[in-house]
Amino acid sequence: MTDTVERKALTRERLLDVYRMMRTIREFEERVHTEFATGGIPGFVHLYAGEEASAVGVCSNLDGRDTIASTHRGHGHCIARGVDVGEMMAEIYGRKTGSCHGKGGSMHIADLSKGMLGANGIVGGGPPLICGTALAAKLKGTGGVSVAFFGDGGSNQGTTLESMNLASVWNLPAIFVAENNGYAETTSSTWSVASDNIADRAAGFGMPGVIVDGFDFFAVHEAASEAIARARDGAGPTLIEMKFTRYYGHFEGDQQTYRASEVEHARAELDCLKRFADRVTETGELARADLDAVDAEVATLIDQAVAGAKAAPLPTEADLLTDVYVRY
Amino acid sequence: MGDAIVGVVANPLSGRDIRRLVTQASVFPTAEKANMIQRMLTAFGAVGVQRVLLSTDLGGISATVFRAIERHRDQDARWPEADFLDGRPIRQTAQDTVDAVRRMVTAGARVIVCLGGDGTARVAASAAGDVPLLALSTGTNNVFPAVREATIAGLAAGLLATGVVPAEDVTTRAKLLEVRAGDRTETALVDVAVSTERHVGARAVWDPATVTQVFCAFAEPDAIGLSSVLGQLSPVARHEPYGVTARLATGASRQVLAAIAPGLVVPVGVRGIEPMHPGVVHLVDARAGVIAVDGERELTFGPGEQPSVRLRADGPRCVDVAAVLAASARLGLLRRTAADPGSADTDRPNGGVSARKEF
Repeated sequence: MTDTVERKALTRERLLDVYRMMRTIREFEERVHTEFATGGIPGFVHLYAGEEASAVGVCSNLDGRDTIASTHRGHGHCIARGVDVGEMMAEIYGRKTGSCHGKGGSMHIADLSKGMLGANGIVGGGPPLICGTALAAKLKGTGGVSVAFFGDGGSNQGTTLESMNLASVWNLPAIFVAENNGYAETTSSTWSVASDNIADRAAGFGMPGVIVDGFDFFAVHEAASEAIARARDGAGPTLIEMKFTRYYGHFEGDQQTYRASEVEHARAELDCLKRFADRVTETGELARADLDAVDAEVATLIDQAVAGAKAAPLPTEADLLTDVYVRY
Repeated sequence: MGDAIVGVVANPLSGRDIRRLVTQASVFPTAEKANMIQRMLTAFGAVGVQRVLLSTDLGGISATVFRAIERHRDQDARWPEADFLDGRPIRQTAQDTVDAVRRMVTAGARVIVCLGGDGTARVAASAAGDVPLLALSTGTNNVFPAVREATIAGLAAGLLATGVVPAEDVTTRAKLLEVRAGDRTETALVDVAVSTERHVGARAVWDPATVTQVFCAFAEPDAIGLSSVLGQLSPVARHEPYGVTARLATGASRQVLAAIAPGLVVPVGVRGIEPMHPGVVHLVDARAGVIAVDGERELTFGPGEQPSVRLRADGPRCVDVAAVLAASARLGLLRRTAADPGSADTDRPNGGVSARKEF
């Protein structure tokens, strides 16, 4: 137990905030799913629907000192870290008004002003980045922590394993969040991950490793809160493994012939939004009407984001040579 | 008398919760759980168990044991016939343990060995009916299951299953705590804790400041977890016919330094402490909160639900491993005749039995 660092209490206000975050991610992804099918979105999109409790449960414990690194399935992490939803949608549509001026697309949304180091097309690309930002925070004494999200596929990458080693050796304020949704693209993690749990690998790097029900916001929030407090307190890195399922394929268009009816079961029985809503209304912390109001507000936000993105201009030829390291 | 059948249920997720982060609890490796089952198979084979029913899981235990059984076929030391229960659907929740134990009971298991923590034993006990339970620890704050070498536990379970040691002599009926909140009921084998937390969250209870009331079926002074607080003030043994309950409060004048979790020794304030007698209903003194059973937050409750706890005498039948092996010594069940090592006798269960005492 770490006693010197304050945990953020889940007040009514914060419960509404985290619900709004999770609902925004869900609506965003459901809408991208529909819009992608109509052909309006260029490139690939990998949807985060189903995994919302992970991004929000972790990021709701962070503040302005902190940084996160995401994955190719990065929309949820961006939203949970506070990246503007309108700019994100415009980025996915490849528009000039996007977070990266329409030149990155879904897999490269970044916003350094929000401590969001970027979605990342490279599997296992995030963990080395957070070792850098965590080292910076440690040397500057800011009290900041860094979080890398990666998947079960990413957990097998050398970059991830090296980063966990380095974070432990340097005792960095780094949190490694393995989002085990069961499949690396189409390969089952029960087949591809040699240890039975990703969390079990933590022991080899001299850090604690815990398994969390990734569908349960409260379980994620509590584990992340402890891990982050521990890191802020100078006690070093932690590995947290979320176990859950993604609701859509690896990418939009994936036929998903490699898996059976687990999504149906998850949506009906395990869904993080449904469970959150049931829980907070049962305890009387929030009323259904509060949640319904958030749902309506979010629906409008996403409508506006899509309309704004569609109406926004595309980058021009001249934009090609802006924001580049070398001028040609 | 039917076949000598033993059931073995193992929880792949025990020893992995948040206490690895908030305390110094260690990870209990899957490979070791699988090894424990293999060591038991050897012990079962040695004492003549005919059939073993094994639970199926996605955590890697059953897969490892399956590979070991395939590899073991050509070896001399006989393992009993092993059947993996078709675990479909495997939900990766406590329901898997319930399903497995129920099927073992239906299939005629005479003993059920359970590998896990207090939580796993609690769930297994709820489904075991009258079949003796032998709980081995592969969890975190374990009070109910024993930390004991699996080979010895395997011998004890085997001697019971084959009927050479009568179950009546070496099993004891554990106590049980029953919690009711609204229309929901839960049971606990060790303790029930009332917490001011609002949510089940990461399940484990490690901050005594959040606990306002504790009910214990037994409270041993050398236990780990909340029951040890009461164990230091007013110890109650497993066999004693009553339990004990206390109110906790951070500012109380009476403080007990207690091992709440591995590597976590903290002062806990205790207000009132009183015995619990079987059948007497004790009310939970809180309007809302969470109830933890055997160390895991399980039930949330709100105003109007008025949870209550009562001690019951009809808990699971538990195998006393030491008593089984003492009986075996008394009856000479593990003695063999060295002069005739190749005889059929030595291969047979109870071969060369001699009831003489040898001094």
